Amino acid sequence: MRQTRLTALLAVLLLALASVAAVGCGGGSDTSGTSGAGGGEGGGGGEPLTVGSDIPYPPFEQGKPGEYTGFDVELMEAIGEKIGRTPEFQDTSFETIFRDVGQGKFDAAMSAATITEEREKAVDFSNPYYLSEQAVLVKEGSPIKSLKDLEGKTVAAQQGTTGLELAKEELGGSEIRPYPEGPDAINALKAGTVEGVIIDAPVAQHAVEEGGGIEIVEKVATEEDYGIAVAQGETELLEEINKGLEEVEQDGTYTKIFEKWFHAPPPKAVFSATHEAE
Amino acid sequence: MSEFFNQYFDFHVMGEHFWEVLEAFLQNLVIFAVAAALALIWGLALALLRQLPGKKLLPIRFITVAYIDLFRAIPILIIILLISGGVPFLSFIPQSIRIPHWFGKPDPFWYGVAALVIVYGAFTAEVYRAGIEAVPGGQMEAARSLGMNHWQAMRHVIVPQALTLIPAPMLNEMISLLKDTTLISVIAFSEAVLVSREVLSERLNSSAMILTAFFFVIIILPLARVVDRLIARNQGKIARGSHIEVA
Amino acid sequence: MAETMVKLQGICKRFGSLEVLKGVDLEVGRGEVVCILGPSGSGKSTFLRCINLLEPPEDGEIFIEGNDICKGPGSGTGEQSWELNYVRQRVGIVFQQFNLFPHKTALENVTLAQERVLGRSKQEARAKATELLERVGLGDKLDQYPERLSGGQQQRVAIARALAMDPHVMLFDEVTSALDPELVKEVLDTMRELAEEGMTMIVVTHEIGFAREVADRVVFMDAGVIVEEGPPSQVLENPQQERTKQFLGLVLDR
Repeated sequence: MRQTRLTALLAVLLLALASVAAVGCGGGSDTSGTSGAGGGEGGGGGEPLTVGSDIPYPPFEQGKPGEYTGFDVELMEAIGEKIGRTPEFQDTSFETIFRDVGQGKFDAAMSAATITEEREKAVDFSNPYYLSEQAVLVKEGSPIKSLKDLEGKTVAAQQGTTGLELAKEELGGSEIRPYPEGPDAINALKAGTVEGVIIDAPVAQHAVEEGGGIEIVEKVATEEDYGIAVAQGETELLEEINKGLEEVEQDGTYTKIFEKWFHAPPPKAVFSATHEAE
Repeated sequence: MSEFFNQYFDFHVMGEHFWEVLEAFLQNLVIFAVAAALALIWGLALALLRQLPGKKLLPIRFITVAYIDLFRAIPILIIILLISGGVPFLSFIPQSIRIPHWFGKPDPFWYGVAALVIVYGAFTAEVYRAGIEAVPGGQMEAARSLGMNHWQAMRHVIVPQALTLIPAPMLNEMISLLKDTTLISVIAFSEAVLVSREVLSERLNSSAMILTAFFFVIIILPLARVVDRLIARNQGKIARGSHIEVA
Repeated sequence: MAETMVKLQGICKRFGSLEVLKGVDLEVGRGEVVCILGPSGSGKSTFLRCINLLEPPEDGEIFIEGNDICKGPGSGTGEQSWELNYVRQRVGIVFQQFNLFPHKTALENVTLAQERVLGRSKQEARAKATELLERVGLGDKLDQYPERLSGGQQQRVAIARALAMDPHVMLFDEVTSALDPELVKEVLDTMRELAEEGMTMIVVTHEIGFAREVADRVVFMDAGVIVEEGPPSQVLENPQQERTKQFLGLVLDR
């Protein structure tokens, strides 16, 4: 008697799961990025270009597989149109992203990633496509008004980011908590388990706009340039990407995308920013 | 092939980060010590609640069984994330409990310990139960016939015997618990796996992770051997016709 | 007629849909030794276990020393409808499987319930335990664990353990059936001495010889009812009922 009840229960569960999967898969998405699906709307047709990215990290990359969107995603699609490639964004963990590109798991990586010396040991970067800085996020009404005020307090940042490095450098006496994902750190701030978050300024701005009672109290200029990473030695691909980026900047597409996601005109410096791959 | 060794067995990386990783591993041991002690007690309490006799106490038995079934089924990771993601927002709980900083350990530590105790309490309760049920029924009859009530019989006759039957399976649970302390890395507590991941993103090299694995192995392997020997010894006892031991 | 120690009337017991006892009456006087015989499945062990409420009966009445131990109608069946403590402190039982506590020494087996249930001090309990164990001939085995004792020795410890609670009635549930033949005598001798000292005993057994020599009364049960009862000279030598004759025929002519 018990045996048949159990089997019946399992059968019903399996049936339920199968139907949920069928409905959910209606969008025809797959994260393993073979031809077709993958990122947002395919760009200018042509050979796919796999792009690793740590999703979500709004407003740079966010959304569900098959429907990714964000500044990075749209910019890359625009570049893709210019160079005849179709970018396919794939979610991956940020801390391994450069190694992964270096070893050919992706054609490129675009993940609000700062160009650093350390990272250049594994990859080559394009010209900067975004000039950033870090921001200090706290709860509205908090007595903390600057980075220095966070000394001795609990601070969160995302693992593997320059925000975390900044925290470690400047706040020696604080308890620093590295979260696997950016949004986790911000949630911890909202929950009250940490007193400050150090994270990329545009991401912080976006989080503030979303609500939740947080505010930016200081921006730390860290001369952070974001670049698109490719494996070392992929000079041809790098040149193409740089060319595509330049075209996008010059015909106004860049400005359009920028204003869409950041509600402000882009700084002039980005149009002339260059970077020598080593 | 040398790529493989560079990525995983770079001894320079291991050497440079050795103390960092070891210190973090000690955190895993601390989590383990606290969670294990609490889970062993909580599990025994659950097992005894489950044994309460009589029709009147059926609701208690029912709730206990439901608890055990539920928390053996839900992955610990989910419990950790539910606690750390939700509890801080429950404003009806006073801050000192909601976001605990007890004994110098930060809140992720305690959320992690709580999750581990909640789940491993359920698992250890089942181990205790197996032990209790393996004690021959005549023992309870004899104890009750001598006039002992349920609690006296449990305390003096049943549980002491049950405890001798459970070291092997209980040790297995403890080994499992030690490994699961690594799950607390997802709520940003600096234990060994988290630190290894930081080294990974810093050095683009996985050797620190291998080092962490190594620490776990040298602690757990001897314990696993002890379990094996305990099991073998129990089976030998049955063969020699000595008293019981079924578990 | 000696005062009635135990009186059972109309005892009925069911296991699920199986009726094991179908209305059994028994009266035992102080100092009397009653042996219950019968084939397996007759319900004799179940009946014995009803007396100390290990198997609470579904129906029927039980009087211990004249006191009705049923808690009254409407309290349902099961343990809680009977005066458990009253019964267990006056009625001792020895089991077929000994059921000694393996994690305690012989001495500790006998002192445990004395201390925990009767509240005797450690010394009191030890003294009593030592005396009883010596009486059953195990004075030199006080600190041995049961696994080191022979079956016969374990059973004698079990008897001492039950006696330590100063019961008024002793129940014996086929206590020699699990023993090797050469160990049976020592246990029966102990029981015989106990009877001679005047203990009220109800003994379920297959040992016809013991019944013949020690019992004041023999009861033959079959299929959940008492078929015949009377002094051993009558029931064993000159049974009236057909079923009794059949059973004895099978048992004696071996």
